[in-house]
Amino acid sequence: MNGLLKPLAPVLACCGLLLAWQLASLGLKNDSFPTALESLRAIPPILTDKESLINILASLRRMAIGFGLALAFSIPLGLLMGRSRATAAFFNPLLMLIYPVPKAALMPIIMLWLGVGDISKTLVIFLGVSLPVIYHSFEGAKAVEEKMLWSGAAMGLSPGERLLRIVLPAALPEILTGCRTGLVLALITMVTSEMIARQSGAGNILFNALDMGQYDTVFAMIIIVGAMGICLDAAFEIVRRWLVRWSEPQFDMPLSFS
Amino acid sequence: MTRSSNDILLGAAPIVLVLLLWQGLVSFGYAPPTLLPPPGQVFLRMSQQLASLTFQQDVAATLFRLFAGFAIAVVLGVSLGIAAAVSPPINAAVKPIVRVLAPLPKVALYPAFLLLLGFGHESKIMLVAADALFPILLSTYYGATNVEQKLIWSALAAGTPPRDVLWKGVLPAAMPSILTGCRIGLVISCIVVFLAEMITSTDGLGHVLVTAARTFQAVDMFVPLITISLLGLILNGLLQGLRAYLLRGFPSV
Amino acid sequence: MGVTPIRPGQLAGVSLGRRAATPIIEIEHVSQVFKTSSRRDHTALSDISLTVGEGAFVSILGPSGCGKSTLLYIVGGFVSPTSGTAKMKGKPITGPGPDRGPVFQEFALFPWKSVLGNVMYGPLQQGMKPAKAEALARTLLAMVGLTGFEKFYPKELSGGMKQRVALARTLAYGPEVLLMDEPFGALDAHTRTRLQNDLLEIWERDRKTVLFVTHSVEEAVFLSDKVVMMSRSPGRIREVIDIDLPRPRRREELLLDPNYQRYIVEIERMFDASGDNELPS
Repeated sequence: MNGLLKPLAPVLACCGLLLAWQLASLGLKNDSFPTALESLRAIPPILTDKESLINILASLRRMAIGFGLALAFSIPLGLLMGRSRATAAFFNPLLMLIYPVPKAALMPIIMLWLGVGDISKTLVIFLGVSLPVIYHSFEGAKAVEEKMLWSGAAMGLSPGERLLRIVLPAALPEILTGCRTGLVLALITMVTSEMIARQSGAGNILFNALDMGQYDTVFAMIIIVGAMGICLDAAFEIVRRWLVRWSEPQFDMPLSFS
Repeated sequence: MTRSSNDILLGAAPIVLVLLLWQGLVSFGYAPPTLLPPPGQVFLRMSQQLASLTFQQDVAATLFRLFAGFAIAVVLGVSLGIAAAVSPPINAAVKPIVRVLAPLPKVALYPAFLLLLGFGHESKIMLVAADALFPILLSTYYGATNVEQKLIWSALAAGTPPRDVLWKGVLPAAMPSILTGCRIGLVISCIVVFLAEMITSTDGLGHVLVTAARTFQAVDMFVPLITISLLGLILNGLLQGLRAYLLRGFPSV
Repeated sequence: MGVTPIRPGQLAGVSLGRRAATPIIEIEHVSQVFKTSSRRDHTALSDISLTVGEGAFVSILGPSGCGKSTLLYIVGGFVSPTSGTAKMKGKPITGPGPDRGPVFQEFALFPWKSVLGNVMYGPLQQGMKPAKAEALARTLLAMVGLTGFEKFYPKELSGGMKQRVALARTLAYGPEVLLMDEPFGALDAHTRTRLQNDLLEIWERDRKTVLFVTHSVEEAVFLSDKVVMMSRSPGRIREVIDIDLPRPRRREELLLDPNYQRYIVEIERMFDASGDNELPS
């Protein structure tokens, strides 16, 4: 019973939340607050509409590119910072300053410089993802046991090989935790910057529908974006677990923030 | 001693380099001042703005939403986190819901908040609370579940009534973790309140940026952005100071 | 065979009386000073000189904080001494190398590699063919009694098993000297005893040179040919004692052997006399 209930619990939670929504909206009788069922019914038209589908897929493609570039840049930097005091001392204050900057808010300025094209949108996502990935890679690399590196050195591994073949795998659980946060952040940054720029994408569809009073579309889009976040996170968690099946299980609740 | 002063120099280097690069781009004509105003001009404008009443009102509006949302998140997050850690039935209900809601991009809920709560303070406060809630809740839960069983037994053995163990044992022991969650939550609150104001608002720092963007006033776009970032830094620093003070008895992490 | 402290007096004489062994490790006037945030720097090792002969089992025994592990790390090449030199086969040690294999108290296994992968890591790094490395690893795992655990990850093993894997992993790349840093310090008493017995059995087959750091008097006497007693603040060699007990050693015989008991009582008395054990760390 318990074993069956555990994987089903998030599904039950979803159903419970939708049910609560349904009841709340029936109780409130507010025109601008459609019921969960009405909103769910509005999803297929959005997903079959060619233009909005292309729009959303283009957003996701930019998100994937921005996320990938951020990983390629942040993981090596974080590992290097974790293993070299000087590198950490060099970058940490700068990163501390960048930390509280709202990345999606850079959208108008970046658009002013680079135009409204894909480059601006991808760059903003890149900026949004980088920091947590750097931070977690840094922490992971810093925590690698000295004796493990010594053991590698005694086997004849050069410093470069040690970074690649000992620090990287040893820090992998922590790095992937950063990537998981980064993935959700990529989605958040994407949606937020689209809401701010109002050019295209899921965020734009959301606010266009709001402006035109199509409230069921608004709520349907909320479900779509929410489901994207939940599914991306769940899919990444499966990959992560498989990649680090050798490691001690850690706290597995997602820590996401925007 | 020399090591740490070296570190400070080393850390200041990239910041100085960024400023030099910024100034250089403008001075050598690679970037027109209309697109990238020189740093001096930005900081001058910022000091003017900070003295102006309208800007101060915008800052006040932002701060009000920020703290209101953050306060809701702290109260809800800490109480739910502790409750989920000590009570199995609450845990069974809260955990799956949190698992579903935590990775959900909260900003997507903003239109719903707008429709339900209107375009005033409430919807923005709600969004801030929704975004700051989960880091606080999760760190509280994490901290409270990691409280050593023996610490609770010791408290009970010392004659603490079971009701009070929560306040005198669990909560203080989970404090380091809770405060870490609050710090993350506070910076998130700063970011989110700004973004919400950018998306739709009639006042606040985010609105100042959007207005400047519509009229292509590059200088005025930088000022609110730097202000909110500084605000985040200062609040983060204050909370860190508070944390260090409250946790003097704990081993430093 | 054994240790020749470069110190005039009775100990050098003892060495001369014994079968001469080629020195493999020579430590000459090594000092190690750590910079601390307080005004006074911490002298971990002060002018240590020691020669270890090939094939000897030498224990470095001392209270915690006497710098015995640091001395081992210097021989391993993981730490460079503030002054003085350590030599391996006449060549100054400048860094770690596969001729000196460490076994740490913390095991330091690669958690992302299976038991087999851990043991094969060194041979593969030395350029051995995978099939040959695997055969070697399986032989070594059988020797440390872990047949059947090849596919396990370190997290699935007990502390004692982890240390067996660590020993096999180090033996796999064929170091000439084993550097053991309180290898059984993190294990419970029962497991420790079993691992001591097994280590002796393995060692007595090929008599590799072993430098063994410990704070347990019984462990040092049970295993070693020589016990180097260290004192702390600053870390110095205060005595080198030959353990003249027959080999192969069997625990149940030794425990009844008055000579074994005398060594232990003697060494403990020497430590007690200095009051060294009572210092806060």
